Amino acid sequence: MARRVQIQLVILFFLLTLVLQGQLDPSNVLVSYSFDDQELATGPDTFAVFEKARGSVQMTTEVRFSGYRSLEIRDVADDGDFPELQGYFKLRFSGKLYLHFALMTASPFEELNIALAGPEWFKLRKNGIGFWLRTREGNLYQYSDSMPKKLLPIEAFVWYGVDVAYDISAGAYDLIIHREGQEKPLVSLKQQANAANHQGSAVDKFSFIGDTGEDKSNVTYYVDDVVIGTDERIVQVPFVAPGRRKLFVDYWSDSQRNSRGQPVPLDIMDPSDLGVGPKEVESLKADGVWELLLQMTGGQRPRSVTSSDISSESGRLLQAVSSWSNGCEALRRGEAAAALGSFEKAESLVPAGKIFGLNAVLSLAALGRWQDVDARLSAIHAEWQNDLRFPAALAMIGLARQDLELAEGWLRPHAESVPDEIGLDLIRRVRSGPLSTPGLDEVRRQFPESWQDAVRDAWVAEQYFFVLLWKGQPAAAQQFARRMVDRYQRLGISKSKWLERMGDAAFFQNNFSEALDYYESSLKESDNAGTLVKVSDVYFRLGDFEKERLYREKIYGSLRQK
Amino acid sequence: MVLVKSAFLATVCSCLAFYSAPIEPTVVASLIAQGKTAAVKALGPEVLPVMVRLYESSDEMQRTRIAETFYQLGWKSQAAKRVLMKDVHTSNRSLRLQVQWALGRVSNDDDVVDVLLANMENDANPLFRDKAACALAYDQIHLTEKQKARLYERLIQALSDPKVDVRRIALQALSIHTGQTKGFNPEAQVAERENSIRQWKLWLEEYKSNL
Repeated sequence: MARRVQIQLVILFFLLTLVLQGQLDPSNVLVSYSFDDQELATGPDTFAVFEKARGSVQMTTEVRFSGYRSLEIRDVADDGDFPELQGYFKLRFSGKLYLHFALMTASPFEELNIALAGPEWFKLRKNGIGFWLRTREGNLYQYSDSMPKKLLPIEAFVWYGVDVAYDISAGAYDLIIHREGQEKPLVSLKQQANAANHQGSAVDKFSFIGDTGEDKSNVTYYVDDVVIGTDERIVQVPFVAPGRRKLFVDYWSDSQRNSRGQPVPLDIMDPSDLGVGPKEVESLKADGVWELLLQMTGGQRPRSVTSSDISSESGRLLQAVSSWSNGCEALRRGEAAAALGSFEKAESLVPAGKIFGLNAVLSLAALGRWQDVDARLSAIHAEWQNDLRFPAALAMIGLARQDLELAEGWLRPHAESVPDEIGLDLIRRVRSGPLSTPGLDEVRRQFPESWQDAVRDAWVAEQYFFVLLWKGQPAAAQQFARRMVDRYQRLGISKSKWLERMGDAAFFQNNFSEALDYYESSLKESDNAGTLVKVSDVYFRLGDFEKERLYREKIYGSLRQK
Repeated sequence: MVLVKSAFLATVCSCLAFYSAPIEPTVVASLIAQGKTAAVKALGPEVLPVMVRLYESSDEMQRTRIAETFYQLGWKSQAAKRVLMKDVHTSNRSLRLQVQWALGRVSNDDDVVDVLLANMENDANPLFRDKAACALAYDQIHLTEKQKARLYERLIQALSDPKVDVRRIALQALSIHTGQTKGFNPEAQVAERENSIRQWKLWLEEYKSNL
């Protein structure tokens, strides 16, 4: 009898889902997990399971909404972390997204959280959390327009069917929640503002967890029949290996290419880059805001400026640095138009700040405004031509133009001139922190003769390696990486990164055994998650599927039956 | 029988806990000095009173490290709040910043939020104002939804502050909490700002009505 009710409910939810979605056929489905399949492989195109503390994420046959298994998520308070099932799907910028799942909790007074989010992860901001459900004190809440809104008191051991029609462009969603055994929905809401009330907030992942950081939840809950679909037909590339539609190595290479092809702001090496000379430093110190400026250039916390109780000169400088800082953040987020505006504002406030102009050019490159790029570049060329960062900036512009020849041309002489003997203390000092920090000034004072070599090593060498790889010259890339390994070996410092690069180049030459050797050597020096997933690929290529799984699950976890 | 056995085990465990060795302040001081927060955490909440006593008897440099450890532990403690509040106006830069950041992680009392708001609005040093806003944005981890509404109300009030930097950092704190700005531009003309503030106030009313 109970089973018949379940089947009726499945049919009811299915029909409602279809009504909600208009049309749903396999070509509209991004994600579908009933947890009944024999094998559910974790990976970047399916999901990851995180069980870093005492909680668990497991499939169970003890309760289920349909089929014979569901997913059980169990959190343990005060254990230092939360368990999570985090799923991935193709990034959606526009259109509609349909989310359906069944939910049952054993402990309504313990917190659980369910969310859809985008590239900004699980934060309240644009492209962060789009849709968010949570339980608190026995009630189910939605988080809409940045505030929790009560939906219903939630009962223990009752299945609830949740259907969301999420309009990405409008930044709003319709929400329907059914209780098992009832035809009339308990919740039927239209046009709810999304979590942070942002139109066009993209989504590409979902998550089921306990509590969000307070570590006070002892929840046990169950999820079944997770379906995510869209209002348009989509072409999904088939899986080439368990849990992934491309090999990890290809994802990694693509992400390197994207990040390096997307210009990022150049960092400062000296306050003079910001138009701050000795006179200005004195003025800022006298106004008590020199440390604030240093903090602002460090970029670790949100920055602000003051202008009401300091000299107008200091106020102008701080405003310019604040605009520059905002521009850097915007460009890193891929908001090139906003970045350009901020850099231009900074430049107008302090024309002597040469970093503002070059970062404006990089923003123009990100926007693809090539005529403007060329015009602005020629205007600042004389000022920058002897600056060590200039080749890196030009290579970024070359990569953004998808002109690898140009990028290689800029990088080659600088990369090849990384000397074999770089002062050990110097390179350690430079590698101990970001080059943009005021600490670089100290490095320059301590190593007046050779500090430029270390900067070349840090900024140019990697970029050159990637350009060779992407130009289809893995053998040349491997040769270059070997030289870097030898240099680091002589210096007696960790060469793990360049060993990994040698493995990458070997992989791209289909020399998998050699790639494995280099990756394993790299891992002996430094345990790096990125290298582990590449090892999984190597084992996949070598046909050792057990080890493929072992290494993949070291990163993405595993989903097993309880 | 199983129940009897469980009860017996529970009694034994609680007795063992009761008779476990007291935490040595010198050990805690050494762990804090070495930055070994995980080891401090492993001692459990019983370490908090020891840290409080250490804080009270330490110089500013050591108090800074202890405040940082309170921050990293993130455990509520009235006693920790009490001693940290004594340094919430110190002019020692490192100590002040660590105290401002730690307070919201040891307590959700209203007066913690109040003192941070006061520092954000009125401190003579812009760095301390700025970092008080950071603390309000990131570190009020124990606030209830009602207390959050109170914090938002005060931050919305600060959007009308005559000082542009106060308006800016108040907005920054609000946007970190909510992901929204409601179009508020701290440098805009009064009329434009007031328009956004009205939107914030409407939002706050709705927030409160949902509590």
